[in-house]
Amino acid sequence: MTQSAQLVVIGAGPGGYACAFRAADLGMDVVLVEPRAQLGGVCLNEGCIPSKALLHGAEIIKEAHHMREWGLDFGQPNIDLDKLRGKKEEIVSSLTQGLSGLARRRKVRVLNGYARFTGANQLQIADETISFENAVISVGSEPVVLPGWPEDERIWNSTGALELRTIPDQLVIVGGGIIGLEMATVYAALGSEVSIVEMSHQIAGTADAECAKILHQTLEDQGITIHTGTRVVSVSTSQEGVELTCEGSFGGSLTADNVIQAVGRRANGLKISAESAGVHVLENGIIPVDEECRTNQPHIFAIGDVTGNPMLAHRATHQGHVAAEVAAGHSAALDSQLIPSVAYTQPELAWVGLTLREAKEKQIAAKETSFPWAASGRNLASGGGAGLTKLVYCPETHLLLGASIVGKGAGELLAELVLALEMGATLEDIALTVHAHPTLSETIAFSAERALGTLTDL
Amino acid sequence: MSTVIASPSVRAAARRQGVDINELANKLNRQQITLDDLSSTGPAQSATNTSEMSQYWDVDHHQYGLVSVTETSKFDRIASANLTAASTLIPQVTHHDEADISAVEALRGKLKQEALAQGVKLTTLAFFVKALAVTLKQFPKFNSSLSPDGTELYLKEFVHIGIAVDTEFGLMVPVIRDADTKGLLQIAAEITDLASRAKNRKIGPADMGGASMTISNLGGIGGTAFTPIVNPPEVAILGITRTRMTPVWNGTEFVPTPMVPLDMSYDHRVINGADAAKFLATLAKTLADPRFLLV
Repeated sequence: MTQSAQLVVIGAGPGGYACAFRAADLGMDVVLVEPRAQLGGVCLNEGCIPSKALLHGAEIIKEAHHMREWGLDFGQPNIDLDKLRGKKEEIVSSLTQGLSGLARRRKVRVLNGYARFTGANQLQIADETISFENAVISVGSEPVVLPGWPEDERIWNSTGALELRTIPDQLVIVGGGIIGLEMATVYAALGSEVSIVEMSHQIAGTADAECAKILHQTLEDQGITIHTGTRVVSVSTSQEGVELTCEGSFGGSLTADNVIQAVGRRANGLKISAESAGVHVLENGIIPVDEECRTNQPHIFAIGDVTGNPMLAHRATHQGHVAAEVAAGHSAALDSQLIPSVAYTQPELAWVGLTLREAKEKQIAAKETSFPWAASGRNLASGGGAGLTKLVYCPETHLLLGASIVGKGAGELLAELVLALEMGATLEDIALTVHAHPTLSETIAFSAERALGTLTDL
Repeated sequence: MSTVIASPSVRAAARRQGVDINELANKLNRQQITLDDLSSTGPAQSATNTSEMSQYWDVDHHQYGLVSVTETSKFDRIASANLTAASTLIPQVTHHDEADISAVEALRGKLKQEALAQGVKLTTLAFFVKALAVTLKQFPKFNSSLSPDGTELYLKEFVHIGIAVDTEFGLMVPVIRDADTKGLLQIAAEITDLASRAKNRKIGPADMGGASMTISNLGGIGGTAFTPIVNPPEVAILGITRTRMTPVWNGTEFVPTPMVPLDMSYDHRVINGADAAKFLATLAKTLADPRFLLV
């Protein structure tokens, strides 16, 4: 069977479906190809959304526990793992079904299967041939598998970890990036004794060092053991569990019922026979694109994780819209470097733009100012713990260059600063904007005021 | 990462309009670009915001009969923007005079064959260039430029003369450098070379710009007078139309005399009317008696 389409989108993750829907809204005839039975990709099915459902559970457990100090004792939580898993799946399925409805309404043809290019304007899905004018590659990424590790069902990747098969007594997470830290937060709240092994000297590697340190300390206070500057040199399995031998800052062995590998993600660019269409793919699976999301083949676009770091859903969505608009003949581009990063840990760690360290590396004149949440009335009144709001700015013009926040709800607070950066706001703009009292958002205005010498709250 | 500050919607609008934000910021000498900056650099590329003012002549010409439409070239649009800026932003006055060029023509007649032997076509324009250069040396204010904000006046030690050349791509202004120090034959040779290269579009940025004053010579075509537009940052421009045999009273009789009309537009912020009159009178005197070219 042969079908033709103006635009074929390969992969229905947050980038792919956004692209397909936007293209359909612009009047294009669109085919969306997806191997999963549901739309939404990793993000919806085994990433952002299910992890947030579990993290919400973890937060409630922690908050309830914490409220004992306030004289409110809810007792020990009674965890029904099946029901928790069921709730998570219910949320995921309601969202993916919603997506299917949105696709139907836009008359986007959804084809189930793996697509492979067979020519510059043709691809194959099982025994079906699709000819296309434009194609968008949005095939995402998959967890990196550590080489030399034994195959054992007690060793999970992030997908396995989110399946919530069991609550291990001892859990080791290899990798102290965003995914590893979120998994640590979930399982520690559910009762696991969690250790994190991280090669570099800081968790959440590219984040501001001071904010990462606050998160590090808070996670340790919650009973999570963190070994930074440590690498796993060998792995063995026995009936008792999985044994990891480590060297570096921590030398010795760790035994666990389960181990999660969370050492990054690898782009899926090599899995679609892109060479048949003349599309250039790097050895690491990444497909390079320009601002308009075009590959080296002007009629073939690539978006999302497959185009490299940062591998984040919101970047993919924006790229998806750009690719759809450019394919439809409009002018559009993702011309922003300001992609926010959020670790949905407890507390959250969120940042955007330059850190002071990065500014120094790039030889950009920068200073930083911050406001500790210990001095925020709202944070104290809400039972929030440690937190810090930090702004990086140009000492000469006071132009905002970057921001990092660690604390409860940091991910939501960050949005104001992303907008401020995009609009070219200065410290004065932020300080003179009236922030409601008492809110955590005041810490942003206070940080700016502190740098300007107008702060009266510290 | 670009250092120009522009909000996402402004960047998107610029992209739609094909405007390079960095270039625009450079041009406006600004770090921040807003939507207002963009609308004033729209497709018409006019230097001032004329879109509202010109609305009344945005009419459907087809309703009056057959018309054909061609797009203006990029070259045309740049010239259009520059002319609009010059005409709108500079208060200009045009002063008219005429010069007796019988002596120039007599001298040219004598030198012509000699010049040809050296491969040079000696034109009257070469005399105009030389005479203008000599006159400029005596009137420093005419050899100056005003900063765009009007706070500084630059007086030039050199004398470079621009020659407006009509080509099929549009108007170009190549420049004869240090015309005050060059001989007539060399000036004539350079005019021929620059004009032919301009017509073949083989002229580079080094051949243009930096003129003390420009000559727009329509003498070979016709006309009795016109009002040229100053070519900023220069502060004056000399227009020349066709030489006419004119009866001139010498005290006892009318003598048929070849008179060339001289039309000089000038930036009134820098030059006043009396100076302009003196300048053109001196130029006319120099042309009437080419011995002044040696002074």
